[in-house]
Amino acid sequence: MKRALLVLTAGLLLLAGCGTDPAPAPATGAPLTPAAASTSAEFNSADVMFLQMMIPHLGQGAEIARLAKDRTAREEVKVLAAAIEVTQVFEADTMSDLLRDWKQPATMDANPDAHAHHGGLPLTSPDTIAMLAAVTDNFETKFLNLLTGHQHNAVEMAKAETAGGANPQVKEMANRIVQSRTAEISQMLAFLGK
Amino acid sequence: MNLKRKLMAVAIGAGLAPVFVVALPAATASAHGYISSPPSRQANCARGAVANCGPIIYEPQSVEGPKGLRSCNAGLSQFAVLADESRAWPKASVGGTVTFNWVLTAQHATSTWEYYIGGTRIAVFDDGGRTPGASVSHTVNLGGRTGTQKLLAIWNISNTANAFYSCVDLQVGGGGTTNPPTTPPPTTTPPPTTTPPTQPPAGGTWAAGKSYAVGSQVTYGGSTYKCLQAHTSITGWEPSSTPALWQKL
Repeated sequence: MKRALLVLTAGLLLLAGCGTDPAPAPATGAPLTPAAASTSAEFNSADVMFLQMMIPHLGQGAEIARLAKDRTAREEVKVLAAAIEVTQVFEADTMSDLLRDWKQPATMDANPDAHAHHGGLPLTSPDTIAMLAAVTDNFETKFLNLLTGHQHNAVEMAKAETAGGANPQVKEMANRIVQSRTAEISQMLAFLGK
Repeated sequence: MNLKRKLMAVAIGAGLAPVFVVALPAATASAHGYISSPPSRQANCARGAVANCGPIIYEPQSVEGPKGLRSCNAGLSQFAVLADESRAWPKASVGGTVTFNWVLTAQHATSTWEYYIGGTRIAVFDDGGRTPGASVSHTVNLGGRTGTQKLLAIWNISNTANAFYSCVDLQVGGGGTTNPPTTPPPTTTPPPTTTPPTQPPAGGTWAAGKSYAVGSQVTYGGSTYKCLQAHTSITGWEPSSTPALWQKL
C-alpha cells in the first residue's frame, strides 16, 4: 500500500511537473544570499523531478569518468576525469539527502513513455557505456566525445531547473551545474581539438 | 501503456478530474550532435577558440534544420555566426584523408552521414536506421583537394524530417599551418541563466583556470581551503561549494 502511495505521489508530481503552465519568471536582479538557501524552504515538482533525474545521471557521469583511470589517455584528461568523478559523487549524495529531507521518492518513474512529452529520459544508455569500456583503440577520443555528450544533457536538465524550480538551494546547484559542465565541455573540446 | 492512459490512471487514483497533457510523438531522448574533431565551427565557438559567437557556445549540438540544407547554421538566425565567412575560423591542419569524430547527446536512429565540400558530396555513410554506437567517427578521403577547404557534414536522422549540420574548416596538405593555439583556451564564464548567479565574495586567492595540486591552499570568501584532488579550477567548482575538491581549514 505504501509503495502504491509512493508511486502515486511520484506520478502526481510527474503530472504536475510536466506539461503545465510555465512557472512564473523568477525575480531578477536580486542576488541569492547564503541565508536564503535553506533546505526547509519551499520546493516544487520541478525541483523534485530535477533531483530524481540528476542523481542517476550523475552516477553515469562518474561511471564514464572512472573508465579513464586505467586506460591510455593524456594526463590532463585523466586529471579532469578524476575531478569530475569525485565532484559528481558528492553532488549525487547531496541531492539524495535533499529528497530524503523532503520525504520524496529517491527515484523517478523509469518508464520512458512517462517522459515522452519532454523528449524522453536524457540518460546515456548503459549499453553505450559498456561499449565504451570495451573499446580497444583510440579510447581517449571516444571517451571525451561520450562524456561531452553526457554533460550537454546535464546542462539541459539544469537549465530547465533554473527556469522552473522554486527551491533556492536546488536552483543554485543547477546554476553551478550549468557553469561547471559548460567549462568542462569547453576543456574537453580543447583536448579533442589538439 | 500509453501516456494518456497512464496520466488518466494517476489522476483518477488521486481523485482528480483527468487533465490530459499533449503528448509529443518523440518516444526517445531528443538527440543532438556535432563534430568535435577536427573542430567544427560550433566546437570552436564552444571551446572559446573564436570570440563573440553568441548563443551557439552553450549548445553546439543544436544546429538542427530540415534535411537538404547546405548552410553551416541550418538556416537558424541565432546561429548565423556559423555561416559568417568573415570570421577568423581556425583551420585544422590535415592530410588527404581525415577522420571526423562526433559528439552525440543521444544515440538516435540514423539514415545517413554525409560529407560535402563545395556542393559536392565526397562521402556518405548509410546507417540504414540503426542507432549509433558509443562513438561515431568516419574516415573521409578529400579526393585530392588541397589548401583551405570548408567541409559540411550532415547527420540525417532516420525518423524525423531533420538533420544536424557541422562545418569544419580544413587546411589540407601542410604549408602554412593555421592550427588553433596549443595552449588551452581561457575558461569562459557563461553569462547568467534565468537565475542570477551568486555574486562571488570579494577577495581570495582562488581563481578559475588555474591548475591546483593536492595540498595547495587558497583563500575564498574569507576562508582558507586545502586542495584534496588535483584539478584545473573552473567556474562552478568554487571552494565554498565543492567539498569534494576543497577542504575548509
